[in-house]
Amino acid sequence: MAARLAELAAAQVLRHQRLPAALIVGGVLVIALIVIAALAQWIAPYPYDQMHIRDRFSPPSVHYLAGTDEYGRDVFSRLLYGSQLSLVLGVSATLISMGIGVPLGLIAGYRRGATDELIMRMLDLMLAFPPILLVLLILAVTPPSLMKTAIAIGVLAVAPIARVTRSVALDLMSGEFIEAARARGERLHYMLMRELLPNVWPVLMVEASLRVVFAVLLGAVLSFLGFGVQPPAADWGLMISNGRAFADTAPWISLAPGIALSITVIAVSLVGDGLREVLDPKLGGR
Amino acid sequence: MRELTPPSVRPLLEIRNLTIRYREDTRHITAVRDVSFALEPAGALAIVGESGSGKSSLAGAVLDFLGPAAEIDGAILFEGRNLAGIAPGQRRRLLGRRIGAVFQDPFTSLNPALRIGRQIAEPIVQHLGLPLPEALGRAEIALREMGIERAAEVARAFPHQLSGGMKQRALIAAALACGPSLLILDEPTTALDVTVEAQILRLLSGLRRDKGVALLFISHNLGVVRRLCDNVAVMYASQVVEFGTVERVLESPSHPYSKGLLASRPALAVASRGSRLAAIPGQMPTAPATAAGCVFAPRCPFQEQHCGGIPQPLAIGPGGHQVRCWKAASLGPWPPQPTVAVEASMSPCGDALVNVTGLKKIFSEHAGLAAWRLSLVGGRPTLYRPHIPAVTDVSFSISAGEVLGLVGESGCGKSTLGRLLLQLLRQSSGCVEFDGADLARLPAKALVPFRRQAQIVFQNVGSSLNPRLSVGEALERPIALFSLAQPHQRVQRVEALLEMVRLPGAYRRRFPHQLSGGERQRVAIARALASEPRFIVCDEPVSALDVSVQATIVNLLADLRDAFGLSYLFISHDLAVVAQLSDRIAVMFKGRICEIGTVAEVLNPPYHPYTRMLLASAVDDETAAEPAGGGIPATAQSGCVFAARCPHKLGLICDTTPPRLKALSESHAIACHIDAMPSAAILSTSKGSDIRELA
Repeated sequence: MAARLAELAAAQVLRHQRLPAALIVGGVLVIALIVIAALAQWIAPYPYDQMHIRDRFSPPSVHYLAGTDEYGRDVFSRLLYGSQLSLVLGVSATLISMGIGVPLGLIAGYRRGATDELIMRMLDLMLAFPPILLVLLILAVTPPSLMKTAIAIGVLAVAPIARVTRSVALDLMSGEFIEAARARGERLHYMLMRELLPNVWPVLMVEASLRVVFAVLLGAVLSFLGFGVQPPAADWGLMISNGRAFADTAPWISLAPGIALSITVIAVSLVGDGLREVLDPKLGGR
Repeated sequence: MRELTPPSVRPLLEIRNLTIRYREDTRHITAVRDVSFALEPAGALAIVGESGSGKSSLAGAVLDFLGPAAEIDGAILFEGRNLAGIAPGQRRRLLGRRIGAVFQDPFTSLNPALRIGRQIAEPIVQHLGLPLPEALGRAEIALREMGIERAAEVARAFPHQLSGGMKQRALIAAALACGPSLLILDEPTTALDVTVEAQILRLLSGLRRDKGVALLFISHNLGVVRRLCDNVAVMYASQVVEFGTVERVLESPSHPYSKGLLASRPALAVASRGSRLAAIPGQMPTAPATAAGCVFAPRCPFQEQHCGGIPQPLAIGPGGHQVRCWKAASLGPWPPQPTVAVEASMSPCGDALVNVTGLKKIFSEHAGLAAWRLSLVGGRPTLYRPHIPAVTDVSFSISAGEVLGLVGESGCGKSTLGRLLLQLLRQSSGCVEFDGADLARLPAKALVPFRRQAQIVFQNVGSSLNPRLSVGEALERPIALFSLAQPHQRVQRVEALLEMVRLPGAYRRRFPHQLSGGERQRVAIARALASEPRFIVCDEPVSALDVSVQATIVNLLADLRDAFGLSYLFISHDLAVVAQLSDRIAVMFKGRICEIGTVAEVLNPPYHPYTRMLLASAVDDETAAEPAGGGIPATAQSGCVFAARCPHKLGLICDTTPPRLKALSESHAIACHIDAMPSAAILSTSKGSDIRELA
């Protein structure tokens, strides 16, 4: 599948000699984020939990690029370490929800009838819970951990992913190429994987990029509420939450992670937008 | 010969040297090149051309619909004012008030959430400043003028409650609501059934006569143009190639392209098995080069060395006739396609390959839980599912090598019938036998050989191929699925298939969006052929294609039939195309077969009243007039399905008893209570010329 996408993207580049600006800008930012997250240990000026008691609340300076917090920890270093947690959380939560949601949506859209009703009504049930409540329920009764947060957030997004998949699949089902495949007596597996999935994929890519954004934000909210990542770990949500108390005297403590979060969100959604443009065969020239 | 524009009258609309270019990325694509014409008040001018010829851009330029990507040069003079030069605000006041427009698709042109009357009243309120109640009153009058009897009822209806023809009438009423002097019609009848098309055309010519509205009629169909217009401009690849009176252009076309267009329409007549349609080879260039020379030269059978080099001006001849061909005067008729020699053994023979008895299909209105309704009638709540019969009591058989044509209007159940034959849908009752085996009783495993031998070709060239699979992948799949070739031989087999449908082997690397409509249909046919079938359901395979492409596809299907002894169920709403390819024809109306017989038997009397109506609409016989009806069609009835529209209705028996198919000869059967079926011939020899280019 990935090879196929790469092939399509390559064909697009060859045809137009250029990519959408959104994809280039977003792509560069996302790659930079990944590099930063991977190299955080080596490029961060200080360890994320090293306290400089004498330099508490120091504003941004040459020593502390984004200032220090109430324990004198370097906000910039914590920012770099925090990117690891945010990216891992966003991507793994999205992979979980896609892994469950896409097959459910495809089957519901392809089979229709009773199967469709069963799947969709179960998902409606999930949607009926207030999302934060559901996550809190999972996290409150068991000790928090990053993976558990990812699973909770991921399960939460199954319903919307399945709904999007199903609606695109339903739309495709009216296509005559589907009927041609049925006239050949194709099996379920082939229908889903070869006829439906490649056509659902572009829409899913956009949806997935949105889901990464939501997952990062929800992760931040959970940390903010104290249910996600636990101190002293560096997490952007947690940092914003902790900095709240000093917002009037030391705004940089929560401002810096806030800006980092915004940049991540924008970068990922730019990539999503760009991908949609590249992957849409109808937008490609003859 | 009439003069084209009487010099005494100032033209209502005059287009002078109009050129329209679209910016796309860094390129410019010319959609309309140096077009000039004039339309006098109450005149009717047709612009005819295939898709992509620039005809709709022309209309769009007058209506200011083209958007910012279009660059417009030249003048569009309406009542002496240049529309291209005036401010958008002023122009908007002219549009709708002085210029009305009606578009192709009546099904999407109306707002589904507003009542019909309100939508017609809208421009009256907007442009004439009348208060809404008064405008609604006017809307009702306008609907009555469109030949709608229960106008008040229709005005209160929502669009989904009306038939396609009724919607198009409502749209024409809305376009005429402010009393414009020019009505622009962009393919207004293309989406409609032939019987409805005939009514709409009659309505339009009546409006032109009574209200003095000038018509600018855009169409791909030369036959339709004849019934409505005085003058016609034939467009090809952004240029006008021929301009003249309708009689002159349709009866003795001068430009090779006009000749080809007219010749490639199948005649509504019995065709021999070896006959093929005249076709224009190749396809229209999408972005014609600006270089001098004739744009049509690469496809022209009269083409010679000089055609490519010298610029082709629009030369004006006697009577104002204009042709863009330097040797037009010396040209003969378009060369007919040579008849193919057919061996006697190729004719249909032997036992039935497909045998259908008492086939019935009932649909529910909705799927899943939504299909159920709760009824409280009789005091006891009961759950039930409302049923819609799609196919009722259909029986026929198709022999090996035989083509059965299936004709009927949209919604008559012909596509459902095709899908039932292939078991893509399960019948509610009745049985389908293929090669002697009852398909409903076969276990799922045993269906595999049937799936290989029975295939389908669709109408919609846009969705019949998976956009994510290359042509090669699409064609390889059936070969792999049914293990018809060793893996290393598959590429050769794919190339052989492409050759069968006359596409270059290199096309296997292409994706569907890189192909034209005709090429896609060829690939779809190749995909159906890949499993080496014996029977193919062709569901309107040429309806979405341009006339010249249509002819090549019909010829291809005929060649394949003869080469492999294939049987087809050829479904179409177009009797002429069906007659060209079929051995026998079945006419369907509301899920029932009302007449079945050989092509000669169906095209000649005695007719079923509905067959007669279809034939009459096709040649615009006045007897085609059917009661336009109230508007909202009645649904449930127990008698003859055609009774409500039948001009020969006998009386009570038609409303209460469904007629059985009565055999008139060994092969001919008609379902009608009338003992002496309408017998006056419609396709008489005097109508011969009409039949050639009918709709």
